[in-house]
Amino acid sequence: MTQMNDAHMSVLLKNLYMNSMEAIFFVGEQGEVLAMNPAAEQILDIDVIEQLHQGTQVSICQTCAGYTNEEAMLSCSNCFLDHNEGDFSSFQVYLNTRGQGIIPYAASYHTIDQERGIRVFMLLNLTRQFKTQEMLYRTNMTKYVIKAQEDERKRISRELHDSVAQELLSSLVDLRVLKYMNVDGVVLDKLQQTEASLTRLLDDIRHLAVELRPASLDDLGLEAAFRSHFKWIAQNYGLLVSFDSELSSARYSNEIETVVYRVCQEAVLNALKYANTDEVQVRLHEEQGDLQLIVRDEGCGFQPNTRDPKGTGLGLFGMRERAELVHGQLSIRSEVGGGTTIHLRIPLSPTRSEEGDAE
Amino acid sequence: MIGEKASPAFLSICEGVIGMHDESKFDYQQEIDAIRKRFDFDLVSIALVQPAADQFVLTWQYASGNLNDRYKRIILHSGKGIAGMVFKTGKSVVIKSIRSEIDPKDLFKYPIIVAEQLQSVAAVPLWKNSRVAGVLSVAFREENQLTEERIQAFQQSIEPKFGPFFTKEMVEQ
Repeated sequence: MTQMNDAHMSVLLKNLYMNSMEAIFFVGEQGEVLAMNPAAEQILDIDVIEQLHQGTQVSICQTCAGYTNEEAMLSCSNCFLDHNEGDFSSFQVYLNTRGQGIIPYAASYHTIDQERGIRVFMLLNLTRQFKTQEMLYRTNMTKYVIKAQEDERKRISRELHDSVAQELLSSLVDLRVLKYMNVDGVVLDKLQQTEASLTRLLDDIRHLAVELRPASLDDLGLEAAFRSHFKWIAQNYGLLVSFDSELSSARYSNEIETVVYRVCQEAVLNALKYANTDEVQVRLHEEQGDLQLIVRDEGCGFQPNTRDPKGTGLGLFGMRERAELVHGQLSIRSEVGGGTTIHLRIPLSPTRSEEGDAE
Repeated sequence: MIGEKASPAFLSICEGVIGMHDESKFDYQQEIDAIRKRFDFDLVSIALVQPAADQFVLTWQYASGNLNDRYKRIILHSGKGIAGMVFKTGKSVVIKSIRSEIDPKDLFKYPIIVAEQLQSVAAVPLWKNSRVAGVLSVAFREENQLTEERIQAFQQSIEPKFGPFFTKEMVEQ
């Protein structure tokens, strides 16, 4: 390092100044801009630069929208330009940039020439980093929301199934016993009617519990849960689901089973709502170390990249989000008049799932 | 498909449950065929509460003018769908225009309307022992066919009794 001569050094510094992605401003004692590098010129408005070239005094304040301190996201109190005592070695500032509006920058502002009061103001664009952070945050958030929703559904479902339905069932048994006691015809008639409506009520409660989250999914696995769900679909909507499972009652992690169940549920519901058909095929199998789910209908199909989806368009988004939770892939193939196929693959190899757990 | 009957064994079960003497003579299929002809309806159907062995579920038993058999698969739930609403409330439901009264996004909740391509529907409760024991539904595949006069004439034709059922809620002796 010591061998580097001044000439060499100044070449390097010049290159840094001219080619750096970081915007560099030299600021004078009055807060006026003395010089700026090309990256900095990219940020500022053209007329500001022109003013600078014409010798008009320009300050950073003209493009600054404020910096982040403890009190606010965008603040001008204790401005770094004239508040010299504060530590401004690293902070976040928002600049009104050319063509891109207000953008966040990581900034540092410090004195490099004590005598003449010259300071340097360096900026690094944070937009990309913010986007990455936001995506990460959103993915984590989605995970929490989905997990919270599943947990809550499980709780209410268990409650309905284990306490409400059980209580109702025992009252129903009591009621049935009454029929065999010495009661006259009118009472018997009334009893029978009450039994009928209580039986239907019990059935409704059980359906409600299963709809929220099928206990069979936790206790018996995907295949059992699907079979009862498809039976329910047929009874409620008259939609026939031909279910083909090659799993032979294999069990997977709770997370994977939930994802497969919910994605399939959504896909079948979509077919029911929009495909204009009364038959859907569902196939569940393992291939190449992946758990695969295929939901296919021969209905009217749709344009996958359309701007105005039927319904909210959130269903497909939600399916993707869920698939990503277990590192799965979801492909949606559809063409108008040619039916729709939803294909979900979830990797089962232990190494990858361990990675997933470690995250 | 028109005029298809449920199996004889099935009929005898229904009669056994209803258990009234004039019952055995009441031919539901014939009756709804006649209603359909008389008022020019496109579809007439009856849902009845099933016996204890079938958990007292409410299912469609007879249809006249149906396009397909999807209705046979469906188990009605109290408060769900048009027949379910009639069953729950004991009040008639009239929808003169499906297009303007039901949001297309909710249409999947009415599988019969979709499967039978109905455009206007009316459904009335069938009473027995002061309870709704069934639902009689009439429908058109075109809008604005279900006029006030037609509904009234139809209502009058089935009053006060339709087979073993009362068509009005009344106190029985």
